[in-house]
Amino acid sequence: MKQFEILDISGDAGIRAFGHDLPELFVNAGIGMYNLITDIADIQEKKPLEISVQGSSREGLLVSFLNELIFHFDTYGFVGKSVSIKKLPSDKLTDLPTGEPEFRRAYRLEAKLTGEEFDPDRHKGKLLIKAATYHKLLIEKIDGLYQAEIIFDI
Amino acid sequence: MLIKGARWAVESGYGEASDLERIESHGCIEGADPSLISSKAYERGQAQQGTLGSGNHFLEIQYIDRIYDQRAADGFGLFEGQVTVMIHTGSRGFGHQVCTDFLEVMERAAKKYQIPLYDKELACAPISSPEAQDYLGAMRAAANYAWANRQCIMHWTREAFMKALGASPRELGMQLIYDVAHNIAKIEEHTVNGKKKKLVVHRKGATRAFPPGHPELPDAYKHLGQPVLIPGDMGRASYVLLGTEKAMQETFGSTCHGAGRVMSRHQAIRRAKGRAIWREMEDRGIIVRSAGRETLAEEMSEAYKDISNVVDVVHKAGISTKVARLRPLGVVKG
Repeated sequence: MKQFEILDISGDAGIRAFGHDLPELFVNAGIGMYNLITDIADIQEKKPLEISVQGSSREGLLVSFLNELIFHFDTYGFVGKSVSIKKLPSDKLTDLPTGEPEFRRAYRLEAKLTGEEFDPDRHKGKLLIKAATYHKLLIEKIDGLYQAEIIFDI
Repeated sequence: MLIKGARWAVESGYGEASDLERIESHGCIEGADPSLISSKAYERGQAQQGTLGSGNHFLEIQYIDRIYDQRAADGFGLFEGQVTVMIHTGSRGFGHQVCTDFLEVMERAAKKYQIPLYDKELACAPISSPEAQDYLGAMRAAANYAWANRQCIMHWTREAFMKALGASPRELGMQLIYDVAHNIAKIEEHTVNGKKKKLVVHRKGATRAFPPGHPELPDAYKHLGQPVLIPGDMGRASYVLLGTEKAMQETFGSTCHGAGRVMSRHQAIRRAKGRAIWREMEDRGIIVRSAGRETLAEEMSEAYKDISNVVDVVHKAGISTKVARLRPLGVVKG
Protein backbone atom coordinates (compact mmCIF):
# COMPACT_ATOMS: atom_id res chain seq x y z
CA MET A 1 0.00 0.00 0.00
CA LYS A 2 1.32 3.42 -0.82
CA GLN A 3 1.04 6.09 1.85
CA PHE A 4 -0.38 8.80 -0.38
CA GLU A 5 -0.45 10.17 -3.91
CA ILE A 6 -0.44 13.72 -5.20
CA LEU A 7 -3.52 14.88 -7.09
CA ASP A 8 -3.21 17.07 -10.13
CA ILE A 9 -5.86 19.74 -9.96
CA SER A 10 -5.82 23.17 -11.49
CA GLY A 11 -5.66 26.08 -9.07
CA ASP A 12 -5.02 24.16 -5.89
CA ALA A 13 -3.04 21.21 -4.62
CA GLY A 14 -4.30 17.95 -3.21
CA ILE A 15 -3.38 14.49 -1.98
CA ARG A 16 -5.09 11.12 -1.70
CA ALA A 17 -4.03 9.38 1.50
CA PHE A 18 -4.42 5.66 2.32
CA GLY A 19 -4.51 3.63 5.53
CA HIS A 20 -5.49 0.22 6.86
CA ASP A 21 -7.22 2.00 9.71
CA LEU A 22 -8.14 5.56 10.61
CA PRO A 23 -4.98 6.37 12.60
CA GLU A 24 -2.82 5.21 9.68
CA LEU A 25 -4.91 7.28 7.26
CA PHE A 26 -4.41 10.38 9.42
CA VAL A 27 -0.66 9.76 9.69
CA ASN A 28 -0.32 9.33 5.93
CA ALA A 29 -2.40 12.44 5.24
CA GLY A 30 -0.03 14.41 7.49
CA ILE A 31 3.10 12.95 5.83
CA GLY A 32 1.57 13.55 2.38
CA MET A 33 0.89 17.17 3.21
CA TYR A 34 4.45 17.71 4.51
CA ASN A 35 5.68 16.31 1.19
CA LEU A 36 3.83 19.07 -0.63
CA ILE A 37 5.63 21.61 1.58
CA THR A 38 9.17 20.18 1.26
CA ASP A 39 11.15 16.96 0.63
CA ILE A 40 10.78 15.36 4.02
CA ALA A 41 13.75 13.07 3.36
CA ASP A 42 15.83 16.14 4.31
CA ILE A 43 13.93 16.76 7.55
CA GLN A 44 15.51 15.51 10.77
CA GLU A 45 13.72 14.32 13.88
CA LYS A 46 15.01 16.98 16.25
CA LYS A 47 11.98 18.37 18.00
CA PRO A 48 8.72 16.95 19.33
CA LEU A 49 5.33 18.55 18.90
CA GLU A 50 2.17 17.40 20.63
CA ILE A 51 -1.18 18.49 19.34
CA SER A 52 -4.80 18.02 20.29
CA VAL A 53 -7.73 18.94 18.06
CA GLN A 54 -11.50 18.60 17.92
CA GLY A 55 -14.01 17.99 15.18
CA SER A 56 -17.66 17.05 14.87
CA SER A 57 -17.10 14.27 12.31
CA ARG A 58 -14.29 12.08 10.98
CA GLU A 59 -13.81 14.48 8.09
CA GLY A 60 -13.95 17.44 10.48
CA LEU A 61 -11.24 15.82 12.62
CA LEU A 62 -9.02 15.25 9.58
CA VAL A 63 -9.37 18.88 8.46
CA SER A 64 -8.75 20.17 12.00
CA PHE A 65 -5.72 17.88 12.34
CA LEU A 66 -4.14 19.05 9.07
CA ASN A 67 -4.96 22.69 9.77
CA GLU A 68 -3.24 22.35 13.15
CA LEU A 69 -0.10 21.11 11.38
CA ILE A 70 -0.38 24.00 8.90
CA PHE A 71 -0.68 26.45 11.81
CA HIS A 72 2.58 25.16 13.31
CA PHE A 73 4.31 25.30 9.93
CA ASP A 74 3.02 28.73 8.91
CA THR A 75 3.68 30.32 12.31
CA TYR A 76 6.81 28.55 13.58
CA GLY A 77 8.15 26.76 10.50
CA PHE A 78 7.72 23.30 12.06
CA VAL A 79 7.83 20.42 9.56
CA GLY A 80 7.13 16.92 10.83
CA LYS A 81 8.95 13.80 9.69
CA SER A 82 7.12 11.25 11.78
CA VAL A 83 3.57 11.35 13.06
CA SER A 84 1.90 9.10 15.59
CA ILE A 85 -1.73 9.23 16.59
CA LYS A 86 -2.11 8.85 20.33
CA LYS A 87 -5.84 9.14 20.60
CA LEU A 88 -8.55 8.85 17.99
CA PRO A 89 -12.14 7.69 18.42
CA SER A 90 -12.90 4.27 16.93
CA ASP A 91 -13.73 3.89 13.25
CA LYS A 92 -17.44 4.44 13.54
CA LEU A 93 -17.20 7.15 16.15
CA THR A 94 -19.76 5.40 18.32
CA ASP A 95 -17.84 5.69 21.58
CA LEU A 96 -19.13 9.19 22.11
CA PRO A 97 -22.06 10.69 23.92
CA THR A 98 -24.97 10.19 21.55
CA GLY A 99 -27.57 11.98 23.65
CA GLU A 100 -26.25 15.31 22.41
CA PRO A 101 -27.48 16.79 19.13
CA GLU A 102 -25.02 16.06 16.34
CA PHE A 103 -23.88 19.64 15.92
CA ARG A 104 -22.74 19.76 19.52
CA ARG A 105 -20.66 16.59 19.44
CA ALA A 106 -16.92 16.97 19.59
CA TYR A 107 -14.47 14.20 18.87
CA ARG A 108 -10.91 14.62 20.09
CA LEU A 109 -7.70 13.60 18.41
CA GLU A 110 -4.26 13.70 19.99
CA ALA A 111 -1.06 13.25 18.04
CA LYS A 112 2.67 13.43 18.54
CA LEU A 113 5.06 14.55 15.84
CA THR A 114 8.80 14.84 15.55
CA GLY A 115 10.56 17.04 13.04
CA GLU A 116 12.40 20.33 12.86
CA GLU A 117 12.09 23.94 11.83
CA PHE A 118 12.15 24.63 8.11
CA ASP A 119 15.51 26.07 7.06
CA PRO A 120 15.56 27.54 3.53
CA ASP A 121 19.32 26.81 3.28
CA ARG A 122 18.92 23.08 3.89
CA HIS A 123 15.33 22.37 2.89
CA LYS A 124 13.66 22.65 -0.46
CA GLY A 125 10.71 25.06 -0.41
CA LYS A 126 7.83 23.59 -2.40
CA LEU A 127 4.28 24.81 -1.78
CA LEU A 128 3.28 27.15 1.02
CA ILE A 129 0.00 25.60 2.05
CA LYS A 130 -2.43 27.94 3.77
CA ALA A 131 -5.32 25.66 4.69
CA ALA A 132 -6.80 22.19 4.37
CA THR A 133 -10.34 22.36 3.02
CA TYR A 134 -13.53 20.33 3.20
CA HIS A 135 -13.86 20.63 -0.58
CA LYS A 136 -14.89 17.18 -1.94
CA LEU A 137 -13.53 15.65 1.25
CA LEU A 138 -14.77 12.16 1.96
CA ILE A 139 -13.23 9.40 4.03
CA GLU A 140 -14.13 6.11 2.37
CA LYS A 141 -13.35 2.46 2.93
CA ILE A 142 -12.67 0.77 -0.40
CA ASP A 143 -11.70 -2.93 -0.46
CA GLY A 144 -10.81 -2.76 3.21
CA LEU A 145 -8.58 0.27 2.76
CA TYR A 146 -9.36 3.74 4.05
CA GLN A 147 -8.93 6.55 1.53
CA ALA A 148 -9.31 10.31 1.76
CA GLU A 149 -8.84 13.05 -0.81
CA ILE A 150 -7.83 16.37 0.65
CA ILE A 151 -7.63 19.63 -1.31
CA PHE A 152 -5.45 22.43 0.04
CA ASP A 153 -5.66 26.18 -0.37
CA ILE A 154 -2.39 27.74 -1.46
CA MET B 1 -4.79 47.41 13.75
CA LEU B 2 -7.66 44.94 13.59
CA ILE B 3 -10.15 47.71 14.37
CA LYS B 4 -8.61 50.60 12.44
CA GLY B 5 -6.99 48.88 9.44
CA ALA B 6 -4.97 51.20 7.19
CA ARG B 7 -5.84 54.08 9.53
CA TRP B 8 -3.79 52.32 12.21
CA ALA B 9 -0.89 52.08 9.74
CA VAL B 10 -1.04 55.79 8.90
CA GLU B 11 -1.31 56.77 12.58
CA SER B 12 1.74 54.59 13.25
CA GLY B 13 3.77 56.42 10.63
CA TYR B 14 3.27 54.19 7.60
CA GLY B 15 2.16 56.48 4.79
CA GLU B 16 0.08 59.62 4.66
CA ALA B 17 -3.43 60.56 5.71
CA SER B 18 -4.29 61.39 2.08
CA ASP B 19 -3.69 57.70 1.18
CA LEU B 20 -6.81 56.76 3.13
CA GLU B 21 -9.03 58.75 0.78
CA ARG B 22 -8.11 56.37 -2.04
CA ILE B 23 -8.72 53.12 -0.21
CA GLU B 24 -12.02 51.26 -0.30
CA SER B 25 -13.93 52.16 2.90
CA HIS B 26 -10.93 54.35 3.86
CA GLY B 27 -9.02 51.18 4.63
CA CYS B 28 -11.17 50.40 7.65
CA ILE B 29 -14.35 48.39 7.74
CA GLU B 30 -16.63 49.06 10.69
CA GLY B 31 -17.73 46.29 13.01
CA ALA B 32 -14.48 44.36 13.43
CA ASP B 33 -14.43 42.57 16.79
CA PRO B 34 -10.95 41.46 17.92
CA SER B 35 -12.47 39.51 20.85
CA LEU B 36 -13.66 36.96 18.26
CA ILE B 37 -10.12 36.26 17.06
CA SER B 38 -8.48 33.08 18.36
CA SER B 39 -5.05 33.16 19.97
CA LYS B 40 -3.83 31.02 17.06
CA ALA B 41 -4.89 33.66 14.53
CA TYR B 42 -3.09 36.30 16.62
CA GLU B 43 0.08 34.18 16.73
CA ARG B 44 -0.01 33.46 13.01
CA GLY B 45 -0.85 37.05 12.13
CA GLN B 46 1.88 38.51 14.30
CA ALA B 47 4.54 36.36 12.66
CA GLN B 48 3.53 37.50 9.17
CA GLN B 49 2.63 41.15 9.63
CA GLY B 50 4.12 43.28 6.87
CA THR B 51 4.95 40.35 4.58
CA LEU B 52 3.85 39.69 1.01
CA GLY B 53 3.10 35.98 1.11
CA SER B 54 3.24 33.26 -1.49
CA GLY B 55 1.15 31.84 -4.32
CA ASN B 56 -0.15 34.44 -6.73
CA HIS B 57 0.70 37.32 -4.41
CA PHE B 58 3.32 39.75 -5.69
CA LEU B 59 4.82 43.20 -5.72
CA GLU B 60 5.50 44.45 -9.23
CA ILE B 61 7.24 47.47 -10.70
CA GLN B 62 5.46 48.15 -13.97
CA TYR B 63 5.17 50.75 -16.70
CA ILE B 64 2.12 51.89 -18.62
CA ASP B 65 2.50 50.98 -22.28
CA ARG B 66 -1.01 51.79 -23.45
CA ILE B 67 -3.86 54.11 -22.52
CA TYR B 68 -7.35 53.16 -23.72
CA ASP B 69 -9.43 55.82 -21.98
CA GLN B 70 -7.70 59.21 -21.84
CA ARG B 71 -10.33 60.91 -19.66
CA ALA B 72 -10.25 58.20 -16.99
CA ALA B 73 -6.46 57.92 -17.16
CA ASP B 74 -6.16 61.70 -16.63
CA GLY B 75 -8.56 61.44 -13.70
CA PHE B 76 -6.57 58.61 -12.08
CA GLY B 77 -3.27 60.40 -12.80
CA LEU B 78 -2.01 57.74 -15.24
CA PHE B 79 -0.06 58.37 -18.45
CA GLU B 80 1.87 56.38 -21.03
CA GLY B 81 5.45 55.59 -20.03
CA GLN B 82 4.68 56.12 -16.33
CA VAL B 83 6.25 53.74 -13.83
CA THR B 84 3.77 52.18 -11.40
CA VAL B 85 3.88 49.68 -8.54
CA MET B 86 1.17 47.09 -7.98
CA ILE B 87 0.89 45.24 -4.68
CA HIS B 88 -1.19 42.06 -4.54
CA THR B 89 -1.45 40.67 -1.03
CA GLY B 90 -4.04 40.20 1.69
CA SER B 91 -4.62 39.06 5.24
CA ARG B 92 -1.99 36.29 5.04
CA GLY B 93 -2.09 33.42 7.55
CA PHE B 94 -4.21 35.56 9.84
CA GLY B 95 -7.17 35.50 7.47
CA HIS B 96 -6.68 31.81 6.79
CA GLN B 97 -6.69 31.04 10.50
CA VAL B 98 -9.92 33.04 10.93
CA CYS B 99 -11.41 30.97 8.11
CA THR B 100 -10.13 27.71 9.61
CA ASP B 101 -11.51 28.62 13.04
CA PHE B 102 -14.93 29.48 11.65
CA LEU B 103 -15.19 26.60 9.23
CA GLU B 104 -15.67 24.32 12.22
CA VAL B 105 -18.25 26.71 13.70
CA MET B 106 -20.08 26.84 10.36
CA GLU B 107 -20.01 23.08 9.89
CA ARG B 108 -21.88 22.77 13.17
CA ALA B 109 -24.14 25.69 12.33
CA ALA B 110 -25.19 24.13 9.01
CA LYS B 111 -26.29 21.03 10.94
CA LYS B 112 -27.99 23.12 13.63
CA TYR B 113 -29.97 25.17 11.09
CA GLN B 114 -30.48 22.10 8.88
CA ILE B 115 -28.94 23.60 5.76
CA PRO B 116 -28.19 20.86 3.22
CA LEU B 117 -24.64 21.26 1.85
CA TYR B 118 -23.51 20.32 -1.62
CA ASP B 119 -19.93 20.68 -0.43
CA LYS B 120 -18.83 20.99 3.20
CA GLU B 121 -16.42 23.77 2.24
CA LEU B 122 -19.58 25.84 1.65
CA ALA B 123 -20.65 25.43 5.28
CA CYS B 124 -22.78 28.40 6.29
CA ALA B 125 -25.32 29.90 8.68
CA PRO B 126 -28.20 32.39 8.27
CA ILE B 127 -26.76 35.92 8.29
CA SER B 128 -28.84 36.93 11.35
CA SER B 129 -27.62 33.97 13.43
CA PRO B 130 -25.05 34.55 16.19
CA GLU B 131 -22.59 32.28 14.34
CA ALA B 132 -22.75 34.42 11.17
CA GLN B 133 -22.62 37.70 13.08
CA ASP B 134 -19.54 36.47 14.96
CA TYR B 135 -17.97 35.47 11.66
CA LEU B 136 -18.62 38.93 10.18
CA GLY B 137 -16.91 40.53 13.20
CA ALA B 138 -13.86 38.29 12.72
CA MET B 139 -13.77 38.60 8.92
CA ARG B 140 -13.84 42.39 9.21
CA ALA B 141 -10.82 42.22 11.53
CA ALA B 142 -9.04 40.16 8.84
CA ALA B 143 -10.00 42.72 6.15
CA ASN B 144 -8.54 45.47 8.33
CA TYR B 145 -5.38 43.42 8.85
CA ALA B 146 -5.07 43.18 5.04
CA TRP B 147 -5.57 46.92 4.48
CA ALA B 148 -2.98 47.71 7.16
CA ASN B 149 -0.61 45.20 5.61
CA ARG B 150 -0.85 46.69 2.12
CA GLN B 151 -0.49 50.21 3.53
CA CYS B 152 2.75 49.22 5.33
CA ILE B 153 4.16 47.48 2.26
CA MET B 154 3.28 50.51 0.11
CA HIS B 155 5.06 52.76 2.62
CA TRP B 156 8.22 50.63 2.51
CA THR B 157 8.03 50.57 -1.29
CA ARG B 158 8.05 54.37 -1.34
CA GLU B 159 11.00 54.35 1.08
CA ALA B 160 12.87 51.90 -1.16
CA PHE B 161 12.33 54.11 -4.21
CA MET B 162 13.40 57.20 -2.27
CA LYS B 163 16.57 55.44 -1.14
CA ALA B 164 17.43 53.96 -4.52
CA LEU B 165 16.76 57.12 -6.51
CA GLY B 166 17.78 59.65 -3.87
CA ALA B 167 14.52 61.50 -4.43
CA SER B 168 12.04 63.15 -2.08
CA PRO B 169 8.43 61.88 -1.87
CA ARG B 170 7.31 64.99 -3.77
CA GLU B 171 9.81 64.36 -6.56
CA LEU B 172 8.75 60.74 -6.80
CA GLY B 173 5.06 61.56 -6.79
CA MET B 174 4.15 58.02 -5.71
CA GLN B 175 0.51 58.61 -5.08
CA LEU B 176 -1.86 55.77 -4.29
CA ILE B 177 -4.28 55.17 -7.18
CA TYR B 178 -6.60 52.78 -5.37
CA ASP B 179 -6.67 49.92 -2.87
CA VAL B 180 -9.51 47.44 -3.00
CA ALA B 181 -10.24 44.06 -1.39
CA HIS B 182 -11.12 41.16 -3.65
CA ASN B 183 -12.10 38.40 -1.30
CA ILE B 184 -14.58 39.84 1.11
CA ALA B 185 -18.26 39.87 2.04
CA LYS B 186 -19.84 43.31 2.36
CA ILE B 187 -23.31 44.58 3.11
CA GLU B 188 -24.35 46.72 0.14
CA GLU B 189 -27.46 48.19 -1.41
CA HIS B 190 -28.46 46.82 -4.82
CA THR B 191 -31.55 46.94 -7.00
CA VAL B 192 -33.25 43.56 -7.37
CA ASN B 193 -36.37 43.34 -9.57
CA GLY B 194 -36.76 47.11 -9.40
CA LYS B 195 -36.54 47.23 -5.60
CA LYS B 196 -33.64 48.51 -3.53
CA LYS B 197 -32.38 45.79 -1.20
CA LYS B 198 -29.64 45.38 1.35
CA LEU B 199 -27.57 42.36 0.35
CA VAL B 200 -24.47 40.56 1.53
CA VAL B 201 -22.19 40.56 -1.50
CA HIS B 202 -19.32 38.11 -1.36
CA ARG B 203 -16.64 38.74 -3.98
CA LYS B 204 -14.24 35.84 -4.41
CA GLY B 205 -12.26 35.62 -7.64
CA ALA B 206 -14.08 38.86 -8.38
CA THR B 207 -13.45 42.48 -7.55
CA ARG B 208 -15.61 45.54 -6.97
CA ALA B 209 -16.33 47.77 -9.99
CA PHE B 210 -18.60 50.59 -8.81
CA PRO B 211 -20.01 53.11 -11.34
CA PRO B 212 -19.65 56.90 -11.43
CA GLY B 213 -21.67 58.66 -8.77
CA HIS B 214 -21.60 55.79 -6.27
CA PRO B 215 -21.46 57.14 -2.70
CA GLU B 216 -18.62 54.71 -1.79
CA LEU B 217 -16.23 56.32 -4.27
CA PRO B 218 -13.61 58.90 -3.24
CA ASP B 219 -14.45 62.46 -4.28
CA ALA B 220 -11.60 62.53 -6.80
CA TYR B 221 -13.13 59.62 -8.74
CA LYS B 222 -16.84 60.20 -8.19
CA HIS B 223 -17.41 61.66 -11.67
CA LEU B 224 -15.46 58.81 -13.35
CA GLY B 225 -16.16 55.53 -11.58
CA GLN B 226 -14.01 53.23 -9.48
CA PRO B 227 -10.49 52.31 -10.57
CA VAL B 228 -10.50 48.52 -10.97
CA LEU B 229 -7.15 46.80 -10.51
CA ILE B 230 -6.59 43.58 -12.45
CA PRO B 231 -3.34 41.83 -11.56
CA GLY B 232 -2.15 39.69 -14.48
CA ASP B 233 0.52 37.02 -14.56
CA MET B 234 4.12 38.02 -13.92
CA GLY B 235 5.26 37.92 -17.55
CA ARG B 236 2.56 39.58 -19.61
CA ALA B 237 0.48 42.47 -18.28
CA SER B 238 -1.84 43.89 -15.64
CA TYR B 239 -4.69 46.33 -16.23
CA VAL B 240 -6.48 49.29 -14.71
CA LEU B 241 -10.17 49.29 -15.63
CA LEU B 242 -13.12 51.53 -14.81
CA GLY B 243 -16.28 50.55 -12.93
CA THR B 244 -19.57 50.93 -14.81
CA GLU B 245 -23.32 51.26 -14.30
CA LYS B 246 -23.77 48.03 -16.23
CA ALA B 247 -21.76 46.15 -13.58
CA MET B 248 -24.21 47.56 -11.02
CA GLN B 249 -27.18 46.29 -13.04
CA GLU B 250 -25.81 42.91 -14.08
CA THR B 251 -23.10 41.72 -11.68
CA PHE B 252 -23.81 43.46 -8.35
CA GLY B 253 -21.03 45.96 -9.08
CA SER B 254 -18.39 43.29 -9.72
CA THR B 255 -15.95 42.22 -12.40
CA CYS B 256 -13.15 39.66 -12.86
CA HIS B 257 -10.16 39.95 -10.54
CA GLY B 258 -7.48 38.22 -12.59
CA ALA B 259 -6.68 35.75 -15.32
CA GLY B 260 -7.25 32.37 -13.72
CA ARG B 261 -5.07 29.33 -14.23
CA VAL B 262 -4.97 27.01 -17.22
CA MET B 263 -2.35 24.68 -15.76
CA SER B 264 -2.34 23.01 -12.36
CA ARG B 265 0.59 23.92 -10.16
CA HIS B 266 2.17 20.51 -10.64
CA GLN B 267 1.68 20.66 -14.39
CA ALA B 268 3.42 24.04 -14.41
CA ILE B 269 6.30 22.75 -12.28
CA ARG B 270 6.72 19.76 -14.66
CA ARG B 271 6.59 22.06 -17.69
CA ALA B 272 9.28 24.29 -16.14
CA LYS B 273 11.69 21.40 -15.42
CA GLY B 274 15.15 22.06 -16.85
CA ARG B 275 14.25 25.67 -17.62
CA ALA B 276 15.44 28.80 -15.84
CA ILE B 277 12.23 30.80 -15.67
CA TRP B 278 14.02 33.80 -14.15
CA ARG B 279 16.42 33.92 -17.11
CA GLU B 280 13.59 33.61 -19.64
CA MET B 281 12.00 36.61 -17.96
CA GLU B 282 15.25 38.52 -17.79
CA ASP B 283 15.64 38.01 -21.56
CA ARG B 284 12.30 39.78 -21.92
CA GLY B 285 13.48 42.66 -19.74
CA ILE B 286 11.75 41.55 -16.54
CA ILE B 287 13.82 41.16 -13.39
CA VAL B 288 12.34 38.66 -10.97
CA ARG B 289 13.03 37.76 -7.38
CA SER B 290 11.29 34.90 -5.61
CA ALA B 291 11.50 32.96 -2.38
CA GLY B 292 11.68 29.57 -4.11
CA ARG B 293 12.24 28.10 -7.57
CA GLU B 294 8.95 26.26 -7.54
CA THR B 295 7.00 29.43 -6.78
CA LEU B 296 8.39 30.85 -9.97
CA ALA B 297 7.62 27.70 -11.96
CA GLU B 298 4.04 27.39 -10.76
CA GLU B 299 3.42 31.08 -11.37
CA MET B 300 4.98 31.31 -14.84
CA SER B 301 2.98 33.10 -17.54
CA GLU B 302 1.94 30.04 -19.51
CA ALA B 303 0.26 28.59 -16.40
CA TYR B 304 -2.31 31.38 -16.68
CA LYS B 305 -4.88 32.42 -19.26
CA ASP B 306 -3.83 35.48 -21.24
CA ILE B 307 -5.08 38.37 -19.11
CA SER B 308 -5.67 40.49 -22.23
CA ASN B 309 -8.31 38.04 -23.47
CA VAL B 310 -9.99 37.97 -20.06
CA VAL B 311 -10.02 41.77 -19.85
CA ASP B 312 -11.43 42.01 -23.39
CA VAL B 313 -14.35 39.84 -22.31
CA VAL B 314 -15.32 42.05 -19.35
CA HIS B 315 -14.73 45.18 -21.47
CA LYS B 316 -17.05 43.94 -24.22
CA ALA B 317 -19.60 42.79 -21.65
CA GLY B 318 -19.45 46.37 -20.32
CA ILE B 319 -19.04 45.38 -16.64
CA SER B 320 -15.79 47.40 -16.56
CA THR B 321 -13.89 49.17 -19.31
CA LYS B 322 -10.21 49.38 -20.18
CA VAL B 323 -8.21 52.40 -19.00
CA ALA B 324 -4.54 51.39 -19.05
CA ARG B 325 -2.28 48.40 -19.66
CA LEU B 326 0.72 47.89 -17.39
CA ARG B 327 3.78 45.83 -18.37
CA PRO B 328 6.03 44.25 -15.72
CA LEU B 329 9.61 45.48 -15.20
CA GLY B 330 10.47 43.95 -11.85
CA VAL B 331 8.63 41.20 -9.99
CA VAL B 332 8.92 40.21 -6.33
CA LYS B 333 7.27 36.91 -5.40
CA GLY B 334 7.05 36.01 -1.71
